[in-house]
Amino acid sequence: MLLNIAWRNIWRNKRRSLVVLSSVVVGVAAILVIDGLNNGMLNQMLYNQISSSVSHLQIHKSGYNDNKVIQSFIPESDKVEYKLQNTAGIEAYSKRVKAFGLVSSAYNSSGVYITGVIASDEKRVSNIADMMVEGSYLTDKKDEIIISKKMAEKLNVKLGSKIVVMASTLDGSPGQQLFKVTGIFETYSSTFDKSNIYIGLPDAQKLLEVGDEIYEFAVIAKNHEQIELLDSSIESGLDDRYEVLNYKVLLPMMIMQIQLTKESMMILNMIIGLALIFGIINTMLMSVFERIREFGVLMAIGLKSGRLFRMVVTEALILGIIGTIAGIAAGYLFTLPFVHYGFDFSVFAESLKSFGVGAKIYPAVSFENTISVAIMIPIIAVLGAIYPAYKAVKLQPVYAIRHV
Amino acid sequence: MSIIRTEKLEKIYQDNGVPVHALRGIDLEIKKGEYTVIAGPSGSGKTTLLNVLGALDKPTKGNVWFEDQNLADKKKAELSDFRLKKLGFIFQAYNLIPVLTALENIEFSMMLLGKSEKERHEKAMALMEELEIAELAKKRPNEMSGGQQQRVAVARAIVNNPEIVMADEPTANLDTKTGGNLLDLMEKMNAEKNITFIFSSHDQQVISRAKRLLYLRDGLIEKDS
Repeated sequence: MLLNIAWRNIWRNKRRSLVVLSSVVVGVAAILVIDGLNNGMLNQMLYNQISSSVSHLQIHKSGYNDNKVIQSFIPESDKVEYKLQNTAGIEAYSKRVKAFGLVSSAYNSSGVYITGVIASDEKRVSNIADMMVEGSYLTDKKDEIIISKKMAEKLNVKLGSKIVVMASTLDGSPGQQLFKVTGIFETYSSTFDKSNIYIGLPDAQKLLEVGDEIYEFAVIAKNHEQIELLDSSIESGLDDRYEVLNYKVLLPMMIMQIQLTKESMMILNMIIGLALIFGIINTMLMSVFERIREFGVLMAIGLKSGRLFRMVVTEALILGIIGTIAGIAAGYLFTLPFVHYGFDFSVFAESLKSFGVGAKIYPAVSFENTISVAIMIPIIAVLGAIYPAYKAVKLQPVYAIRHV
Repeated sequence: MSIIRTEKLEKIYQDNGVPVHALRGIDLEIKKGEYTVIAGPSGSGKTTLLNVLGALDKPTKGNVWFEDQNLADKKKAELSDFRLKKLGFIFQAYNLIPVLTALENIEFSMMLLGKSEKERHEKAMALMEELEIAELAKKRPNEMSGGQQQRVAVARAIVNNPEIVMADEPTANLDTKTGGNLLDLMEKMNAEKNITFIFSSHDQQVISRAKRLLYLRDGLIEKDS
């Protein structure tokens, strides 16, 4: 019956209740939309990094990731490859030769990361082939090079242009080779585009004079959620001459950013919660002050303080629960179309590209944050009602009954 | 045997720092089943006395004994419990809960006692029929006349079979005929259920029908007849 009274009391002043409900709905929906955009952006950044170059797992010679020297090629790479071929949970892998070098045209030059790949294998672990804006991806023919649009602009070259790639060879002497630009790509990351070029694996091995050696196995897992399992499964079959690093280790800044974003969402939740709590305190105080006489009567006929307290708090709790449910529904309804079509942030395209994100962000509201909001807002509503409820129970029935 | 008794009851209010002696040492004894009216001019202390007797207010000095319990010793929660189980209240302005129907208003006191929904409903309906207000069961206070609301208030006051019903100016907002009908009803409850009624009123109609009249002046009983 107290619940019934609390419910009816809420609707005594419909306008006031609707105003406070609207603030809760807008607050909750805003939290979810912002969370969705943040997650969407981070997911894209992560996905773009993984699918363009990092992959889910990388295997190197031990210590390579910290000190990428040309001498650190993978020892007995065929054994590693055999292990990969016989490990469950691997979708694809690609062998890479990587080095730092210089690319020069007749007009300009630029420092770059040179990646030598087998085109057919690399296509299965990287989406660079899908990012071609001119020409085509590598075809495993000799002397082919693909560069980014930004690099092409910098070097002032176009499809078919000849450019020279230089790098230090295994014995320390300078190596150089002439390549023909056969493709120009453009990824979502301007930073990546500024500093990466791709050539065929044999060309890279020839340029660096490393024979058949390779420096990296890039692995795509069937289920990246269980990457740690795959990581340890591969690692268990290899000795300490190798390092097996998953993307969480390879992208520490990215992972830290995801963590920071989660924490900043908690702060945002708290700020919005704090704003809501004052609205709820105000509404409940007004509601209590309007009913002083009624509370006096209730106490006179035997309603104990605890029950009166619960009644006031229940009203706020109901408001909080309704507002939260409606807010979650509004947040999801607003976000839903953009999950498929994306928020178009073309105006900020250049800035977003510097973060490795496309102009369209596909929001992804996290279930975890939804649950956290669904718990937090009703608690905030209850907290907001504590002071008004305290004021109610502190009333003296004898005076409250006479209140006009 | 007295159901409620006071000893040298005093109540002093502070009005902007000035002490106001509302009750100045009242000794009173009310027996079970009495139908008592406390009358007197404004400021004589009749409402204060009713509030203290009804455990809504604590005396500054003296004691209020309900049977063998001294109400002055009881804590807030104990007084709530006492009022719920032993007393019924009827107010001048009816004071029904506006969001509840007449039936629910009557059931409310029983709910506080932890009675089941079925028991509450049956007892409240039976009482409404007895008081000839059954047709009001689903109406909310704002859909009822003053007289109807006060009859519902009477039902709410007696539904838990209280020992005493305290009625503070119950007819003040009613016309003479409606007030008379209400008094008929309370006299009937007094006669049939042996409920003790204590009124505070300056309505001549109420005073004239008192079986015992306490006339207060300046915080003292001037006449007890």
